[in-house]
Amino acid sequence: MRNKPRIVAALILLLSLHAAILLAKFVTPYDPAVQNRDFPFAPPTRIHFVDSRGHVHLRPFVYQWKARPDTFNEYDEARDKSYPVRFFIQGPEHKLAGLLRSHVHLFGVEDPAQIFLAGTDAYGRDQFSRILYGGQVSLAAGLLATVISLFLGLVVGCISGFYGRWIDDSAMRLVELFLVLPWLYFLLAVRSFLPLHISPTQTFFLLVTVIGTIGWARPARLVRGIVLSAKSRNYVIASRGFGASDYYMLRRHVLPHTYGILLTQAALLVPQYVVAEVTLSFLGLGLSEPAPSWGNLLANLQQYNVLVSYWWMFAPALALVIVSLGYLQMANAVQELQSGSI
Amino acid sequence: MRTVSGYSESATTRAQSPGAPGLLCARELTVCYASRGEPSSPALLGIDFDIAPGEIVGVLGESGSGKSTLALSILGLLPESADIAGSLVFEGKDLLRFDESAWRGIRGARIAMVFQEPGLSLSPVMRVGSQIAEVLRAHRQEGSNHRKLQVEAVLAEVGLTQVDRIYKAYSHQLSGGELQRVALSQALACRPDLIVADEPTRSLDGTRQKEMLDLLRETNRKFGCALIFITHNPGLLAGFADRVIVMYAGRIVEEGPVSRVFRRPLHPYTKGLLQLMPTSLQYAGRTRGQHLPVLPGTLTDDDHLSPGCSFASRCSARTQVCQTEFPAEVAPEKGRRVSCFNYEN
Repeated sequence: MRNKPRIVAALILLLSLHAAILLAKFVTPYDPAVQNRDFPFAPPTRIHFVDSRGHVHLRPFVYQWKARPDTFNEYDEARDKSYPVRFFIQGPEHKLAGLLRSHVHLFGVEDPAQIFLAGTDAYGRDQFSRILYGGQVSLAAGLLATVISLFLGLVVGCISGFYGRWIDDSAMRLVELFLVLPWLYFLLAVRSFLPLHISPTQTFFLLVTVIGTIGWARPARLVRGIVLSAKSRNYVIASRGFGASDYYMLRRHVLPHTYGILLTQAALLVPQYVVAEVTLSFLGLGLSEPAPSWGNLLANLQQYNVLVSYWWMFAPALALVIVSLGYLQMANAVQELQSGSI
Repeated sequence: MRTVSGYSESATTRAQSPGAPGLLCARELTVCYASRGEPSSPALLGIDFDIAPGEIVGVLGESGSGKSTLALSILGLLPESADIAGSLVFEGKDLLRFDESAWRGIRGARIAMVFQEPGLSLSPVMRVGSQIAEVLRAHRQEGSNHRKLQVEAVLAEVGLTQVDRIYKAYSHQLSGGELQRVALSQALACRPDLIVADEPTRSLDGTRQKEMLDLLRETNRKFGCALIFITHNPGLLAGFADRVIVMYAGRIVEEGPVSRVFRRPLHPYTKGLLQLMPTSLQYAGRTRGQHLPVLPGTLTDDDHLSPGCSFASRCSARTQVCQTEFPAEVAPEKGRRVSCFNYEN
């Protein structure tokens, strides 16, 4: 493959990000909702290898942040005592995968010091933990909406392409309608019909359903094209000639042709839907505080002073960029594999 | 009987189709391909024929004569754009009145087809064995073990020796001859009463063609299934088929027992075809640069639509009447029919 190193790099980055997000409870040092009122907008903790006396340590260590007296949200390192970074450290209890009770976290420092890899927010909550937990919501929404879109697209596309005639015509007009629909405003409209306060779970499924059901049109059109060409292949006609039913022909001889395009579409839709979720949460239509999602983490930037003063508040956007570029790279790779230019 | 407007036959005085009434009877079979905004072009124009149980009938004609359309209409596999009329009676039931589920019961089980280009009519992503099993699966409720045994048996019947290898192979791993036998075994799997073979030997060389014909003849004798063998090569039919139907521009122009038709063809088109069959003597007497004789002219769409004889534009024996009127069928001797005004010349 032409861009093999690039694709491998993207794959590794994507996989490790997904693993970290999936195992957020273990990877993050703190609970995403725990507030440290003494440390609002603390910058990312610096990791040191060389102490104040010039000694080099193999084990990295941190200093505790100390608020500068008589200032607002400005911090200095308290250099009198260093706290080594420890791996597989005991911390607050969590249940891994909902089953395994554990106190072990991937990394952390001993009290009273704290480690904020991506700084803290206005309530002193650890931004790094919030990004990983928020990723669970954002990615799950993206993946689930993709599954819904592709499933609807596959069903409509198959029926439309296979049966043709008026079914095809009407299905394709419907597709066109959905393609021109401005989904953001449609979402706003749908949201405005619902009660102001709905539970986070309900909000999540509402988001996913709406995003997913709007996006089926493009995959449906692509699948239809594939089915149209596949159904006129000799072996499909032959299978009909030996008494195969429509369902059997579709499943056995036509459907395998659509796998490639579905995979490419999936890789394209996931980042698109993650961004959609982020957009909605950013506008306040997504999950509400204190539950983190990338969208409502970024919503902090709506305040001007945050936007200009605290650069680490942009960190969730970095995660978003990695996910988007990673998936697009995957889509490229799949498409290349499919067209045989390996 | 259903009709399609415009083509419901001008030639009303037609001789009764010879051959014993029986398995399959087509009457006034007409097929038109419709395309949007344009007048539909007819591919078959009021075809009458009968197929008796167990006989081998050759259908002879050049490209565009409607042979493949005929094959597809017997299995109800015509594309949606095709408009079919007339009647096609199989064992007393009109197939053209069948709905999809009734067709499914017939296809593969009672009437089966050996498709052109077996390499393309087998799925590239399924093992050959399971594609043959597919046919059995569509028609019989049996366990998969039993089905496998049957597939192996039918593979052996078509003369394949390495049954295990072929069962597990994908279509691209087999040779042309093997593929053709696999295609035949698919058709044979359910022991149909009628097999339609659309140019099954087209992709094979001379030796393999001969083997394939022997195999078809043998299957025909062993299982008593009737065979419609579609070809453009009259040489294949001699000594193989019982009867021959000669088609030109969507019509049957001549029909009769192969031996008699080939010894004394009546229609100028048949005469032309037979005269032009290259023999080794012809090849030997020729030097480089000399061409083999060809039938002058080509078959065009206008020939389908002409009010007169569709062969008139290429015929050396044409007269005034040929341009204006389609010749009615006549039966010059028992078991034969021909559509020509001047067949006696």
